[in-house]
Amino acid sequence: MRNLAFRFLMTNLLLLVTLPGTPPLAAEPVRFARDVLPILSANCYACHGPDEHERQAEMRLDLEAAAKQPRDNAAPIWPSQPDQSLILERMTSTDPERMMPPPKSRKQVTPTQVETIRQWIVEGAPWGRHWSFEPVVKPAGSLDQLVTAALQQRGLAMRPQATPQARVRRLSLDLIGLPPTPEQADAFAKAPTRAAYEELVWELLNSPRFGEHWARMWLDLARYADTKGYEKDLGRTVWPYRDWVVAALNDDMPLDQWTLEQLAGDLLPNPTEAQRIATAFHRNTMCNDEGGTDDEEFRVAAVKDRIDTTIQVWMGLTMGCAKCHSHKYDPISNDDYYRFYAIFNQTEDADRYDDAPRMEVITPTQRTERERLQQRVTQLESELMQAEVAAENRGEGDVVFWSPVRVSQAVSRGEATLEAQPDQSIAVSGKSAVDDVYTLTVTLAAGRYTALRLEALPAKFPDGQSGVGRNPADPNFVVSELSVEWLDGPRTERLKLEHPRADFSQGGWPVAAAIDGDTKTGWAVSPRSRERHVALFDLAQPLTLTAEGTLRLTLTQAYGNRLTLARFRLSTSTIDPAQLTLPQDSPACRPLREQLTAAKTALKDFVAEVAQIPILRQLPADQQRVTRIHKRGNFLDQGEPVSPALLDGFGPRPEGAAPGRIEVARWLVNRDNPLTPRVWANRIWGRLFGIGIVETEEDFGQLGAPPSNPALLDWLAAEYRDGGWSLKQLLKTIVLSETYQQASETTAALQELDPRNMIPSRGGRFRLSAEAVRDQALAVSGLLSDKMGGPAVMPPQPGGLWRSTYNGKTWVDAEGEDRFRRSLYTYLKRTTPYPSFTTFDAGSGEVCQIRRIRTNTPLQALITLNDPVYLEAAAALARRMVTSGEQAESRVAYGLRLALIRPLQPGEAAPLVRLQRDVQRQLAMSPEQAAALIKSARGEAGGRDPAEFASWVVTANAILNLDEFLTRN
Amino acid sequence: MEFLNPGLQQIRHETRRHFLQSSGLGLGAMAFQSLLAGEGLADRLPAANPLTPRQPMLAPRAKRVIYLHMAGSPSQLELFDDKPELKKLHLQDAPASFLEGKRFAFIRGVPKILAGQFAFGRQGESGQVMSELLPNLAKVADQLCVIRTVHTDQFNHAPSQLFTHTGSPRLGGPSIGSWVTYGLGSLNQDLPGFVVLLSGGKTPDAGKSLWGSGFLPSVYQGVQCRTNGDPVLYLGDPAGMDRGLRRRMLDALAEMNQAEYQRSGDAETITRIAQYELACRMQVSVPEVMDISKEPQHILDLYGAKPGFVSPAESADDPRSLYKGDDPTFANNCLLARRLIENGVRFVQLYDWGWDHHGSSLGESIDETLPIKCQQTERSIAGLLIDLQQRGLLEETLIVWGGEFGRTPMMQNNVRSELKKGYIGRDHHPYAFTMWLAGGGIKGGLSYGQTDEFGYYPVENPVGIRDLQATILHVLGLDPHAFHYTYQGLDQRLIGPTDEGRVLTEILA
Repeated sequence: MRNLAFRFLMTNLLLLVTLPGTPPLAAEPVRFARDVLPILSANCYACHGPDEHERQAEMRLDLEAAAKQPRDNAAPIWPSQPDQSLILERMTSTDPERMMPPPKSRKQVTPTQVETIRQWIVEGAPWGRHWSFEPVVKPAGSLDQLVTAALQQRGLAMRPQATPQARVRRLSLDLIGLPPTPEQADAFAKAPTRAAYEELVWELLNSPRFGEHWARMWLDLARYADTKGYEKDLGRTVWPYRDWVVAALNDDMPLDQWTLEQLAGDLLPNPTEAQRIATAFHRNTMCNDEGGTDDEEFRVAAVKDRIDTTIQVWMGLTMGCAKCHSHKYDPISNDDYYRFYAIFNQTEDADRYDDAPRMEVITPTQRTERERLQQRVTQLESELMQAEVAAENRGEGDVVFWSPVRVSQAVSRGEATLEAQPDQSIAVSGKSAVDDVYTLTVTLAAGRYTALRLEALPAKFPDGQSGVGRNPADPNFVVSELSVEWLDGPRTERLKLEHPRADFSQGGWPVAAAIDGDTKTGWAVSPRSRERHVALFDLAQPLTLTAEGTLRLTLTQAYGNRLTLARFRLSTSTIDPAQLTLPQDSPACRPLREQLTAAKTALKDFVAEVAQIPILRQLPADQQRVTRIHKRGNFLDQGEPVSPALLDGFGPRPEGAAPGRIEVARWLVNRDNPLTPRVWANRIWGRLFGIGIVETEEDFGQLGAPPSNPALLDWLAAEYRDGGWSLKQLLKTIVLSETYQQASETTAALQELDPRNMIPSRGGRFRLSAEAVRDQALAVSGLLSDKMGGPAVMPPQPGGLWRSTYNGKTWVDAEGEDRFRRSLYTYLKRTTPYPSFTTFDAGSGEVCQIRRIRTNTPLQALITLNDPVYLEAAAALARRMVTSGEQAESRVAYGLRLALIRPLQPGEAAPLVRLQRDVQRQLAMSPEQAAALIKSARGEAGGRDPAEFASWVVTANAILNLDEFLTRN
Repeated sequence: MEFLNPGLQQIRHETRRHFLQSSGLGLGAMAFQSLLAGEGLADRLPAANPLTPRQPMLAPRAKRVIYLHMAGSPSQLELFDDKPELKKLHLQDAPASFLEGKRFAFIRGVPKILAGQFAFGRQGESGQVMSELLPNLAKVADQLCVIRTVHTDQFNHAPSQLFTHTGSPRLGGPSIGSWVTYGLGSLNQDLPGFVVLLSGGKTPDAGKSLWGSGFLPSVYQGVQCRTNGDPVLYLGDPAGMDRGLRRRMLDALAEMNQAEYQRSGDAETITRIAQYELACRMQVSVPEVMDISKEPQHILDLYGAKPGFVSPAESADDPRSLYKGDDPTFANNCLLARRLIENGVRFVQLYDWGWDHHGSSLGESIDETLPIKCQQTERSIAGLLIDLQQRGLLEETLIVWGGEFGRTPMMQNNVRSELKKGYIGRDHHPYAFTMWLAGGGIKGGLSYGQTDEFGYYPVENPVGIRDLQATILHVLGLDPHAFHYTYQGLDQRLIGPTDEGRVLTEILA
């Protein structure tokens, strides 16, 4: 490569030396977008481009009219008149005061570039737009014809097809992220017809594994993770969104619908649950729960992230710089940014600790189960209450402890209605005042009365909930004062109450306060305000009635906030108060009470498991935010208000009313949007060939890389857009091509002419993704679970990695099936992502990751050699090998075929056969070592000689580390 | 290294493309001119391996960096910035000028002024003002360039740590260590180029992103070396796998992979073979360099290090209550830092957690916790400087010490407003705080910048985080303004998109 680079430089140098003043591309006309614009963008636009703050000398070179505007018999660019074109004079000047770009910019145009500009001016300086902003027009021909043409230009031809087995493995890894079995490959190899190939393609595209594989690409873009990020990095439930992505991909949801649901599912008419789940796409932004943070600061950061992610994912443009100033290279101004921002600035979420707004996502089974648990609680509560009342009211031998009083009159000081019920309780209905006084007149039979009981009983609210108070938002009550008067003819005697006690009192609101003569204090029961409560009071002097008598009971409830009793019952007792007990002291009720506690715990635990997923929800019309420009990107320094608008220049913008998120979604996938189909087609191509036609998948703007084959890119883009935005169709088109099916072996000549396979001159050959590396190892060893969906799982990772501040969560290695789920389901903690994945270039989900740049490092080797995941896979593969036959050669061959799929060449397995034999020999001399090795791989010798089995574990470990195994070829 | 790595295809192309076409070393100017001048390009570019050492753009003053970050942010008013005026106003209400238009993390309403809690003295020939909490560091006062006027624009931990180390308060940028390794390569063949060591029982608030490579290729990310368990994740062979078996296995693997290369012709395969060999060497070299038990006793004593010590604080849910002055974890890390740079590691980053002394709960006070944290660290830091100097390494190693911001001259008042022993604390203060530099290229004994009488704002020579970043790069021979990586349509630089950052030439030797 050093040589190549050197040669590249030398070539330029030779051009300079041998062809001074000669246009470099004399054979064909200079093309503005391809040849001129890159020079202008890179060297001129920072100061003479779209950014009004940086613009120098009031000169713009990014707009044709301005660039060709004559001033004093000269213009920056004067068509056909190089001598009157100031740009040339400045570019060739040696005067530091005049030369452009100026020395302090550290930019320099080469003589070759100057010649290109000169030639272009000579040819009339025809203007144009940056290539990616031009409409997508489908070129004539087929995919293969376009590639063949490009190959022929370089004197190359299409490579022969890869072997049938290689094609099956390639297809399977590309489409579902898992290897085929050797049997599947052999079946195809027997009759490798086009029809059979196509059938295989459909089979893979229709596999549920398809969605699991391609979801990973999307989740990188969606910055999906299972935590909220930053310091505390607490957990967040978003897996229903991940499952939505998998399902939508498996259903081949077209890109336009996919876009609409994720950006604006909540705004669709009568959105389905799935459409609202889809909006979690933009709730994958991070939250900062660090103590002392300004929620508005991080809300704004999240909204900006949504803007940047949207434009980058769909259109391959970077909005980031326009936050602070107009884009220096692409036509996005500072105003444009905040107008677009205004569209997204109207959702409810605000960096809240609870991630609100959230939506419950419950399965039918879960719903049934929750109802069952809820019913059980309700039933036990009712049983317990009856049992308590019974136990309190009657002792052994039917001693009557309590008798409800007969109420002859019950009135509210306010407008509430008090009505006696068959069970002698008083139900309160009608309008509830902020505070109230209930006055009851009751009739008592002759007898000796010793005590009074007040029961607060739960009543139902219209919403089905129940509570002992009348305020649905806070169903508590405060009995400020309870007084009892004996109406003895004309004489009224206040009866003194003492020894107050209650089954429960709220902290600071003891039952004694209900008889202390102070209406500022009282008895209350929060947080247990949805269950029956009991207060007992002894009469300081027992009341002896020789005939029927009348009492007046007054319940003053002066707290306010409608904290008044909803239903209650008053009872009297005639026995020694020392015998009277509170509900919790009644032994008869204990078993029921324990059952109720257990049932409540079960319900609570179950409810905690039900997913509450963060979603987008629009602010009500009267609470919409006013969006202003943030000066230099600072949200505390706001400028002029702006109205919402889409970006100009990329397809038609809707007329009329201010655009919302629905309009953004429609505009992104409008057929006149030149970027979306190109960006997406390029992205898919990149996954299948290892590199995009535009290498900078993240940047289709003027500083991005140019397409290596523009016609091919436009052909694919048009195919995708015009074919109904079907990802499966696009994939099918590509994988059925001869281009895709080429053998991947390379030659010196190909290395020379197409070193990075960008034409492409051969089949793609590159290392598998982090997730595929692990999934493949689990698959060939037979460990892989095919369970789909649900909460994330925790396969083994080294202890002690999770040491986030103020976050008590721990990683617990899964056992059983969850240990071997597909990597897609591995818990992703943003500040501590799963180490083996990041080592293989996966991201952390913190920000949108457009592509992963592949690396090849020693740390990767350590993972596939020593990570318990791969050791366990090695033990399982060893087991498959030893049970496959008796001969070492055939066992090795079996293992290799499982891993590589292709038939082996004679003698190919020899190094591994020798390895197995040598290792067995060595381990035979130290059985403990063999046992230790098997144990560290969690293997089972299964009655075999441990030295022998351990040697197979080592051999399997080698197979799982083969370059060819880790590579898709 | 060279012969082992003819490949690394993707990365090499990636890196090379950026170097050739878009970095400050690009074809446009410098590289081209240097070629014309007959200078070999090969030394400048990551020709074969992205970690191959490269000549810097400018004459370097230092070759490597040890960056000591006290996560949570120590109080400058107790350590370096003596403010007698605060004593006079102790426990009086803070003036309105301290509060108007300010956002604080925790302070609410009108807090009280809090006097410095410890005594100061002048140290060394240079007379550096330092606290009684730093008796050992005082002995190397003449090596330090103390900057008391550092300011930042973030006042929460995670964003501020990110800003300090990646140049952006949001996630996604490469850390200084990654930038430096990208620009200069590694100086060794069997260790990572950028190593991170942690102590204090917690990861710094912004987590692993602080040593992430961001948009740079992941080969430049920091490798966390642990003092407990495998020093590098998955470095140790499993039980039962001895070196002999591993060697045999790697030989068979290499043979198989060679055959694969014959078939495919893909140089990436050769790279993979080389990377497995490198991994195998790391399995030996990393534990060796991480093993401080062979250090002579006088060196261990110099740092206060104890080989093999595993602090209970490292696995506690709340380590702060376990802080004792004699915990040698940080000391061990300082000694490791020396061993690592001695063995050619380019950038060693230490994070010590537990410096967030708000005084709102136990184990986070100025009066009780800060002295413990100083006791845990200052002797080791002094030891590190002395040790490096004795070995002639100090002059080519840049040492940086600091937190992510400073602490307020006012007492934090959101939990309690009266002084209570063990609960005296200060809130986050981004406007002026102290950091110091020492070693390669730095003027020792210099006191740079002055704050006002309350230590609230700089009044002379303010130093922004971007200035510090620019200076660090400059000292290493990287032009902070030209050194960049093109990503997302911008020439991304450590010092950010604007030119506000400047090299602090006044503090350079």
